Amino acid sequence: MSGLSQFLALASDGIKANRLLWLLIGGFAVFPIFTHFADLPFWNDVAMRIMLLGMAAMGLNLVLGYGGMVSFGHAAFIGIGAYCVGIGEFYGLTNGWAHILLGMIVCGLMGLMIGYLALRTSGIYFIMITLAFAQMLFFLFVSLEQFGGDDGMSIDRAEFGLIDLYDPLRLYFLIWVALALVGLGLMFIVRSRFGVTLRAIKSNESRIEAMGLEPLRFKITGYVISAVICGLAGVLFANWQEYVSPDIMHWTRSGELMIIIILGGLGTLAGPLLGAIVFLLLEESLPMLLGAVAPAYAENWMILFGPLLIMVVLFGRGGLVGLIATRNQSTSNQKRGKAGQ
Amino acid sequence: MKKFMTICAISAAMTAGTAFAESVKIGYMTTLSGGAGIIGKQMQNAVNLAMEHKGGKLGGMDAEVIFADDQRKPDVAKQLANRLMKSDRVDVVAGVIWSNLLMAIHKPVTRNGTLLISSNAGPSPIAGSQCNKNFVSMSWQNDQTPEGMGKHMQDAGIKSVYLMAPNYQAGKDMLAGFKRYYKGTIKGEVYTKLGQSDFQAELSALRAAGADATMIFQPGGMGINFVKQWKQAGMDSVSKLYTVFSVDGVSLPALKDAAIGILGTQTWSPDLDNAINKKFVADYKAKFGGYPSFYAAQAYDTILAIDHAIAKSGSKDTGKMRAVLAAGNIPTTRGNLKMNTNQFPIQNIYLREAVKDADGVVTTKVTGTVFTDHADSYAKQCKF
Amino acid sequence: MTFTLILEQTFNGLQAGVTLFLVAAGLTLILGIMDFVFLAHGSQVMIGAYAAAAITQASGNFYLGVLLAIPVTFASGYLLEFLIIRHLYRRDHMEQVLATFGLILFFNEAIRVSFGPAALFSDLPHSLSGFVEILPATPYPAYRLGVIIVGLLCAVGIHLLVSRTRIGAMVRAGANNPEMTAALGINIKTLFRLIFATGACLAGVAGMMLGPLTAVQSGMGEPLLILSLVVIIIGGIGSVRGAFVAAIIVGLVDTLGRVFLPSILRLFVEQATADGAGPALASMLVYILMAVVLIFRPTGLFPAKG
Repeated sequence: MSGLSQFLALASDGIKANRLLWLLIGGFAVFPIFTHFADLPFWNDVAMRIMLLGMAAMGLNLVLGYGGMVSFGHAAFIGIGAYCVGIGEFYGLTNGWAHILLGMIVCGLMGLMIGYLALRTSGIYFIMITLAFAQMLFFLFVSLEQFGGDDGMSIDRAEFGLIDLYDPLRLYFLIWVALALVGLGLMFIVRSRFGVTLRAIKSNESRIEAMGLEPLRFKITGYVISAVICGLAGVLFANWQEYVSPDIMHWTRSGELMIIIILGGLGTLAGPLLGAIVFLLLEESLPMLLGAVAPAYAENWMILFGPLLIMVVLFGRGGLVGLIATRNQSTSNQKRGKAGQ
Repeated sequence: MKKFMTICAISAAMTAGTAFAESVKIGYMTTLSGGAGIIGKQMQNAVNLAMEHKGGKLGGMDAEVIFADDQRKPDVAKQLANRLMKSDRVDVVAGVIWSNLLMAIHKPVTRNGTLLISSNAGPSPIAGSQCNKNFVSMSWQNDQTPEGMGKHMQDAGIKSVYLMAPNYQAGKDMLAGFKRYYKGTIKGEVYTKLGQSDFQAELSALRAAGADATMIFQPGGMGINFVKQWKQAGMDSVSKLYTVFSVDGVSLPALKDAAIGILGTQTWSPDLDNAINKKFVADYKAKFGGYPSFYAAQAYDTILAIDHAIAKSGSKDTGKMRAVLAAGNIPTTRGNLKMNTNQFPIQNIYLREAVKDADGVVTTKVTGTVFTDHADSYAKQCKF
Repeated sequence: MTFTLILEQTFNGLQAGVTLFLVAAGLTLILGIMDFVFLAHGSQVMIGAYAAAAITQASGNFYLGVLLAIPVTFASGYLLEFLIIRHLYRRDHMEQVLATFGLILFFNEAIRVSFGPAALFSDLPHSLSGFVEILPATPYPAYRLGVIIVGLLCAVGIHLLVSRTRIGAMVRAGANNPEMTAALGINIKTLFRLIFATGACLAGVAGMMLGPLTAVQSGMGEPLLILSLVVIIIGGIGSVRGAFVAAIIVGLVDTLGRVFLPSILRLFVEQATADGAGPALASMLVYILMAVVLIFRPTGLFPAKG
């Protein structure tokens, strides 16, 4: 029992330290109640998409934010996870748990392979080699005619035993549980010895080497874990979308993930989720906004989105999480200042 | 007192009557932003024009069209479809340019019992094994147009052909459809990179192959690039160029004179001689300055089809509307459209040539009919 | 597969290569000297193409269009650096990625708002729409030959600039050791601005030359951007010579691979498989090449640093 109580103590410790993350996750748990009473069931759908994107972003954040590895290829892992569902169903495998297992294993192995080859390089070279792998996988799936090529495959939602995924709330909570587990897992990883070492490698790799540790092993492990998380997101995404196509693994989708992480706050636990929320809400609301103000230009909403991103970089250090943190800091400083008088 | 009561009763009866007049909502999904936005824009123009022609009423009911921009992304399309059905509670979901987007929303929309009408995409699974009662096509099945080209070239006795298409599903479907009817020698079957902009290398190889005719499928910007470079390389003296979906109302403004003389097959042309089409083309030109493309014509036809379905069935119920549409005889810019058992059109395939009109603007003109009442090849696999 | 065909394809590869070089040259200097990940370089190509096409349409003269478009693109690069880019030098690579990605969105949309979503009409100038016989009975489009010549001249010009002038020495010093160069009192700010504007200009020239050949439309620069990134990785960041060699190699591999790979494959596997796998492999070829180079030379063929 002491193991469990230790775990619970660590967990509550972590939750207190990462209030924003658990506030957001908690928010998603109660969101359906709100939409039910406001009669806006469509917004559950948006929330599911945000959770899935956030989950994938959290996975990428492990290597991008904490590990300092700018991987342009992570959308490929989401794609592989999604195709595990599609190809699995093509060959008669309809059990959802099997899909999840398959997706995570395949992504883990691919992550190991790609990570091993790519992590011999660093900096911009690493970026480009991950881009290259992503593009190769993209073109591969486009050329696979039996699996629909770029027309993609229609997917039936998988059988999860007692959980009928065609009930939108069940799917919602399945995704929510996965998100919470990923959040919990990452929280532990980041605070563990492994996580601390990974962050140390990001700031000064030669120092870690001097300590006698092998940075490459840590990096590859981090890469594999992030690939597995993205694969899980991919499996669930395929179920949500009821469709999979190579678009999902195009390098521009990796770029979107990176934007979400940077927008929310690189190297923070809550950042990716917050970034996903803001990014998708902007995608929904900017066209509407522009349509209300200047209807003739409604479809040119990206002309606002671009400068918005630039301003976030110029003025928002550390992304949105950083903005919130500095505001809290300045108010607490103010309080301290007053108390000091 | 009696007079007052009578007036009240009559007013009550009148207002009760109008209170029950139904209105119909259509969710029109197309790509408005991004590189392919020009196609979506044309379709939006056509839908608005159709609504204008119909005085804002379809089948006698007040109609509202909600436009949705899918940004050419399947997950956005899926979310939009959900929003249109659950939030806006539309009665019909229509539009959809791209096959992959249609594949993404086909199941969710039809399963929800909402009528889904395609203004453009026509992938073979939806025409065949994965067909659904709640889907109606107001455009064509992807293979029909290249089948027409194959037949034309076979009938014209062209001995050898060099084929080229981008390396994606639609490209492969197009060439497969072509080969279904053309039985001559195929000197080369080249799949180019999707989004490729420079075809000089392929043109050099083409020149060396020396086929009598060259048949290409290069939609959108790829087509503009290819035709430009074909002319610049003086390829007309080497081989005769035939196209499907590459020379049309969207690419001609950029190609201008470079396109003159190029042949293609299509289910529609701006010069089709029927009253509906004449009015459509004339009003479109007057309002939007330029010829409509086949995308626009199909979008226009979609609204006409909805009008026809509601008028004939007297209701906006999905089952009743689709029964009317399945019966065919729908008045469109292509004449009275017949329907196949899988709810895809049975229609003529025309041979068109790019020519200059009286005002010096380049457009396409029908020079022959390749197929009369051509049906798609997948209907047999469709069992509702 | 005749000799004339191979020769023609080699010329095609060269033309693709020099166009890539014009785009890659600026990018490698920006990345190498300023350590700045400038994803919006493709937008410079687009700006150049639009400027030239618009001026040509207005004036009716292609050469005037190009002539006037050059200072326009130089100015746009200069302004961009002054207004936005210089604030981002000290930031994380990833923040630079985010900001320049935002620039891409903005430029693409701004072009669409100004010129509309349809492709702009542009065509070959009459004087260059003929053919030149590179070998008897082997006609090659005069315009494309012109592109090769202009590209090579630019390459020579840049080489002379970089290796024979004082500014060139500063540029090389900056590529090799930026901190030391600044410590030597060289006005880094102006140097950076000039490098940036020149890079933009070169990319713009590539765009101007491509305009008559391809569709002038929003987003036309992005495919070139990706390919240029591959080129500078293979060539080595910061090295103009590396960019040139790599660009030619990539241009040739991509062109020759596209046309000859399916036939080569047919020697080893049956036709149906070759025809199916050929195009897919051809599109991956350049990336495979890059991956191979990186495995043996992790910093590229001619790295500028050390």
